[in-house]
Amino acid sequence: MNTISSSRFGKLGQYGIFLAFILICIVLALSTPKFFTVSNLLIIGNQVSINALLAFGVTFVIITGGIDLSLGSMVAVTGVVAATFAHPDTFPLLVPLFAGLAAGSAIGAFNGLVITKSKVPPFIVTLGTMTIGRGLALILSKGRPISNLSDAFNFIGGGNVFGIPFPIIILIIAFVICSVILNKTVLGRYMYAVGGNEPAARASGIRVSNVKMWVYTICGLLSALGGILLTSRITTGQPNAGAGFELDAIAAAIIGGTSTSGGTGTMTGTLIGALLIGVISNSLDLLNVTSYYQQVVMGVIIIGAVVLDGLGRKD
Amino acid sequence: MSDFILKVKGLSKSFSGVKALDNVSFELKRGEVHALMGENGAGKSTFMKSLIGLVTPDTGEILLEGKSLTGNDVNETLKKGISMIHQEILIVPELTVAQNIFLGREKEASGKSGLLAGWLNDSVINTKAEQLLTGMGVNIAPKAKMKYLSVAQMQMVEIAKAISNNARVIIMDEPTSAISDKEVAVLFRIIRDLKAKGVGIIYISHKMDEIFEISDTITVLRDGKYIGTKSAFDLDRSSLISMMVGREIDQMFPEPSQGNGEELLSVENLGSNGKFSNISFKVRAGEILGLAGLMGAGRTEIARTIFGLDSFDEGQIQIKNDAVRIRTPREAIRKGIGYVSEDRKGLGFIPRMSVKDNMTLSSIGNHRKGAFIDQRSEQSATERMIADLRIKTSGTHQKVTYLSGGNQQKVVIGKVLLASPEIIILDEPTRGVDVGAKFEIYKLIRNLADQGIAIIMISSELPEILGMSDRILVLSKGKQTAMLSRAEATQELIMKYAVA
Amino acid sequence: MKHNGIFAALFAATLLVGCNQSKTNETGQEGSGKKLVIGATMLSMQNEFIVNVADEMDAKAKELGVELIIVDAERSALKQVEQVESFIGQGVDAIIMNPCEVEASSPAIKLAMDAGIPIINVNSETSAKPTAFVGSDDTESARIAMKYIVEKLGGKGNILMMHGFMGQAAQIKRDNGAKEILKANPGLKLLAEQSGEWDRAKGMSLAENWIQSYGNQINAIFAQNDEMGMGAVKALEAAGLKGKVLVVSVDAIPDALQAVKKGTLDATVFQNAKEQGSKAVETAVKAAKKEKFEQQVLIPFQLVTKENVGEFLK
Repeated sequence: MNTISSSRFGKLGQYGIFLAFILICIVLALSTPKFFTVSNLLIIGNQVSINALLAFGVTFVIITGGIDLSLGSMVAVTGVVAATFAHPDTFPLLVPLFAGLAAGSAIGAFNGLVITKSKVPPFIVTLGTMTIGRGLALILSKGRPISNLSDAFNFIGGGNVFGIPFPIIILIIAFVICSVILNKTVLGRYMYAVGGNEPAARASGIRVSNVKMWVYTICGLLSALGGILLTSRITTGQPNAGAGFELDAIAAAIIGGTSTSGGTGTMTGTLIGALLIGVISNSLDLLNVTSYYQQVVMGVIIIGAVVLDGLGRKD
Repeated sequence: MSDFILKVKGLSKSFSGVKALDNVSFELKRGEVHALMGENGAGKSTFMKSLIGLVTPDTGEILLEGKSLTGNDVNETLKKGISMIHQEILIVPELTVAQNIFLGREKEASGKSGLLAGWLNDSVINTKAEQLLTGMGVNIAPKAKMKYLSVAQMQMVEIAKAISNNARVIIMDEPTSAISDKEVAVLFRIIRDLKAKGVGIIYISHKMDEIFEISDTITVLRDGKYIGTKSAFDLDRSSLISMMVGREIDQMFPEPSQGNGEELLSVENLGSNGKFSNISFKVRAGEILGLAGLMGAGRTEIARTIFGLDSFDEGQIQIKNDAVRIRTPREAIRKGIGYVSEDRKGLGFIPRMSVKDNMTLSSIGNHRKGAFIDQRSEQSATERMIADLRIKTSGTHQKVTYLSGGNQQKVVIGKVLLASPEIIILDEPTRGVDVGAKFEIYKLIRNLADQGIAIIMISSELPEILGMSDRILVLSKGKQTAMLSRAEATQELIMKYAVA
Repeated sequence: MKHNGIFAALFAATLLVGCNQSKTNETGQEGSGKKLVIGATMLSMQNEFIVNVADEMDAKAKELGVELIIVDAERSALKQVEQVESFIGQGVDAIIMNPCEVEASSPAIKLAMDAGIPIINVNSETSAKPTAFVGSDDTESARIAMKYIVEKLGGKGNILMMHGFMGQAAQIKRDNGAKEILKANPGLKLLAEQSGEWDRAKGMSLAENWIQSYGNQINAIFAQNDEMGMGAVKALEAAGLKGKVLVVSVDAIPDALQAVKKGTLDATVFQNAKEQGSKAVETAVKAAKKEKFEQQVLIPFQLVTKENVGEFLK
């Protein structure tokens, strides 16, 4: 009976964040002429890319009703692993890339395995992995940054193709692939089902554990991509890189309308969430606002997004 | 003072242009039990929500003892004397009975004022709760934690809370949906006591027998409109149903057609630690086997075991004379078993997913190209099923949570059917479904049987079991006590074996 | 059942503590046979500079034949105070503390003093006065860096400054030193200042955004540490501005030294980790033996430019 009102509100919630994003961009473009220029937009895209990749990963996880706090540590581990094999004139470029991605997938799969086998809540499992990962990064690097990386490796995070920074290209490709997985594949459908009602998903014949294994592994893989990008961008593998990245990524997903109770969320929403965070921190720098205020603004936006989401869901 | 405690005049409410309530009027007398009837979606819940201040009506007036209630919020209406016993009971499990009764009113209950009122005084509220509960003639310890109470006991606590609020109108929304017959008797005794004290009761239920037993007056709503109010004495079952449905239902149950197909499922000496033991039966293609018994007799547990949701430790299950091991629902589905759970919200569907996504959940393998979903084939399969089952939905993309109970149930049945099962277990298939949709579901079940599917139907409603089943297996306390043929089965006989 | 869990946790905790401590090998020392034990709590063993200080402390302890227990406070002042408490409980002969925070680490000083155990602060300060301080004056490092900028720009130009984590002792002192020089040279204009949180990626993003804002106006960037300075260099290179903008930072980490050698980073300021580490242990040993020691050992900073970078590269 109240069907129509409810679904319309739900959509408003999703468009709401998009409209808010456009509105903020217009305000910024009016307040500083430096904001809406091609070079600045490319820089924002570049700066957003790592957080967006992590946010895509965690969106999958949150849709299934889970959470992954180990993203930041995975960025550090995978960055350090990749850097270890990325010195000039040692291995071909594929080796560090493969090693980093494999390390990320392995940690992600470990998360998935422990979560599905032990029934310990993901919050706790990934909290543990977060600490383990940070330790591993320090062990592998002996606590020191790994620098002197090959030019080919440094191109990933620092190069341009036809004037477009390479990270943006990776971001776009990852966005398309993640959207396709979520919307067009059986796996994506199962993710929504598992997060929407796990017992019902199981009773419908879905292998819930398999879905979770996939989700955490994909999340690890995307974190590794983020870790490789970061390492390449700053041309060093830093064991203490990525601290707190998980929170930015989760924030992007939530701002984009992914519900922490599971079962809803879109990649487009998450991308907008990540862009919103990036645009705000970029423009506050342009306007020379101290970082103290940036944090307050970001917090207000996160809460605002969730409030909006809650209004949209009210029946 | 007039006889009427509550008067509602011309209440209307629209949600985004759809009229949920259309000019509804209603009158409740002192000491009257007034049943509010209507199919799901008839506007009962919007009406209730308007009364307690959860929904603000667009037009109309609500008068409690002559004073307008319009525009009040939940807390104000509660204070003024309208209480509601919700279908899903709202309690704080970790608090005690007494703490729950006086939740939010600790200051008043303690009888102190000023600064001291902030101090909690459990002994005062315990005494008060004790008096209330003994006054109602129920034996519940005020100091017991809420979470250890049965559903029926929780309900009593809610009623005690309403009484302590000095409620003059109590709304009961499906109060008997989760309690046993014995507990229903206690509830009815309390309702009669409240009546005698002049409390007006608005009673909502789908169970006809109850309505005729307890209510004095019946008001029917349909599609948000007021249909009529009649004395319970002047109505019989079929005239009430026709008021609710808007047409005569002459034949509730479709004609049976004895199935004589091959034996599809055979269960031998099935037992599961403590839940049931020594269960043996066979189901043939085209046959409907009814499973009857009281709550807790082990019916749902047997269904869950066959479907692989629970494990068993004795006996065996055969499908077409092949012994099978089923450890998960996935394996059960692959072996041709479908299960429509009694717990529709918990196990049946995924509320935030669309009709289409829910329906193809068990059979997505039939609509895939590699890892990808073949959207077109999925869409057409769903549309076909919506048409076959006559599901009322705005489209394949409508979220299931917004459908009525009957249509949600049809979506779940559609999901099971799309996986092409040969054996279907239906557990309370018409629970929470309104009368019109019930009839359609009965026809559907019979149709499926006629198509050669073996059906096991669990139901607590005896007329339903008697009307639908070809044979009836009766269970009592985890053991099978009788296998009755359609010809010999009667309500009395089933009950005799069910309590054996 | 429950007890097992607790024991397991305790056991794991013991193991972890064990891993955190690195003991020097046990060689005899002097005639007495009783070996001096020094406890050291370090700000963070995830920080390269601190690791270097700790390594040198370890080497020096071996050389002097004393036992050195190094624990990691993981940037938590509370943890640091607890670690000092347990050193006192173990009855060590001296304590070396690399303070996490100016105020919050101060109670540790009082605890050690009350127990009659000498406590030496290394690298950074606390508001409570320790037995001795070994380190460098952070204010001075910023002065040196800024003076270099003044010299290179001929006293005129536009400057940007990247801060560390706001409120930390190093950030406050480096800020003070830089502002001192800016005040003395009115020809220099501070276009903007912002925190890069000591982080390379953050420093890079900050520089990218500044380039959007100020572009060709920028003459120099002063970064309060090398990590951020390296980030700024990357951003400037990407924008094709490196040739025009001077970048100077502090710490002289190996990466920064390489960059100075290549000419991408114009200068860094060398803070002598080795000297700090070895002097800290020396002072602690002297204090424990009640010999004469200096209460304030200041290790001088050195400006590193392309001309002298060879001396610092191993």
